[in-house]
Amino acid sequence: MIKPPVASESEWRAQRVELLAEEKELTKHKDRVNAQRRRLPMVEVTKEYLFDSAQGKRSLKDLFEGKHQLIVYHFMFDPEWDEGCMGCTGFVDALGDLSMLGERDTTFTLISRAPLSKLLAYAAKRGWDRPWVSSFESDFNYDYHVTLDEKVAPVEHNYVRAKEMKGSNGLEGENHGMSVFFCDGDEVYHTYSSYSRGVEGVTDSYSLLDLTPYGRQEDFEDSPAGWPQKPTYG
Amino acid sequence: MNMPPVATESEWLEKRIDLLKKEKELTRQTDRLNAERRRLPMVKVEKSYIFDSPEGKKSLLDLFEGRHQLVIYHFMYGPDWKEGCPGCTGFINEIGNLDLLAQRDTTFAMVARAPVSILQAWAQKHGWNWTWVSSGENDFNYDYHVSFREGEEATYNYAPRGRTDEGEGPGISVFFRDDEDNVYHTYSNFARGGEHATDSYSLLDLTPYGRQEDFEDSPEGWPQKPTYG
Repeated sequence: MIKPPVASESEWRAQRVELLAEEKELTKHKDRVNAQRRRLPMVEVTKEYLFDSAQGKRSLKDLFEGKHQLIVYHFMFDPEWDEGCMGCTGFVDALGDLSMLGERDTTFTLISRAPLSKLLAYAAKRGWDRPWVSSFESDFNYDYHVTLDEKVAPVEHNYVRAKEMKGSNGLEGENHGMSVFFCDGDEVYHTYSSYSRGVEGVTDSYSLLDLTPYGRQEDFEDSPAGWPQKPTYG
Repeated sequence: MNMPPVATESEWLEKRIDLLKKEKELTRQTDRLNAERRRLPMVKVEKSYIFDSPEGKKSLLDLFEGRHQLVIYHFMYGPDWKEGCPGCTGFINEIGNLDLLAQRDTTFAMVARAPVSILQAWAQKHGWNWTWVSSGENDFNYDYHVSFREGEEATYNYAPRGRTDEGEGPGISVFFRDDEDNVYHTYSNFARGGEHATDSYSLLDLTPYGRQEDFEDSPEGWPQKPTYG
């Protein structure tokens, strides 16, 4: 079978310590990028968005539930679909207890475009009790570039406009992402959005598999020849 | 109140795109490092470790449950402690569904030194059903540098620990089983090496205030608590 080479304790340790130096550098690199994120400015949200929730209509400000920071996971659920996106489903399944967010003045919510009844049915099926509201009939998903439709708003993905992109034909419909908002009194501000691989750091299984010899076992990875691999995100 | 400066959409976009470049660089650096980790050699485990589990005695090989990879969270719970370590407790609470691991030939288990009856009570109190075994009767925790004996010059995170009192440290260790049932140690990390599996940290890192801990380089006046406090 395919397996890592066997070494003596001291040979292994020499390589492990070399990797540790790079791991520490990576942690510091991440700290620096996070520090820069905390220095981003923010943009006032002047449009009024209304969401459907189990408790009735809610504004963007309502979603903060009295906290100052709001994290939105843009869950891909097209109004025509009967089930949520499999990747987003895995993402939400992999979330554990998030009570530390509340302790740190932050609320977490899911937002999708499918009508509320579909979201509630899917959440019940999966056993989720995270806040989840519908942006059906609002521009929210289009304005934050997670529903792409040239007829509604100029298309861009991960900060690249469709016209600057090669092969942008498939750029239509739902995309996943994470957006962060800040609330001060009655004003709501948009501070941050990330898309694509920008959200994968939250998936525990990926974080843990990254520590194993085989890694995530996906074909985007640079692994030794013969390592088990599946299609990426497959 | 302390908050980020307000900007126009185009001012914000310029700064966001600058940050995006750095985020992509960080993702690529992470990929490169992970690729390097997959090329580490491994060391055969020659010692026989027997753990106490609710189902009786288990060997390290048993903990694989037939899979080829085993990820162990070294949960800090000394035999005399009244409660499990709060940091480790938070770490485990934050873990969601890990079905993907089994689908990828990998088993997750926790090991601590406290007796299995105490571990079971703590797990029940928190509603956990992860495999959790006791290494109280073997040298496992000492050999993998997460428990320390009084008066011992021990290492932690591959460096001298710098103190000689009794104690526990957090860590994650990975083992590999080949088709002949040989068991190998491939990897261990300690200290901040395990923190990225904490969802709340990953999410808070995206917010203006960050984790709100005092190790962070944040703008003046940002809310902060003691780190890990």
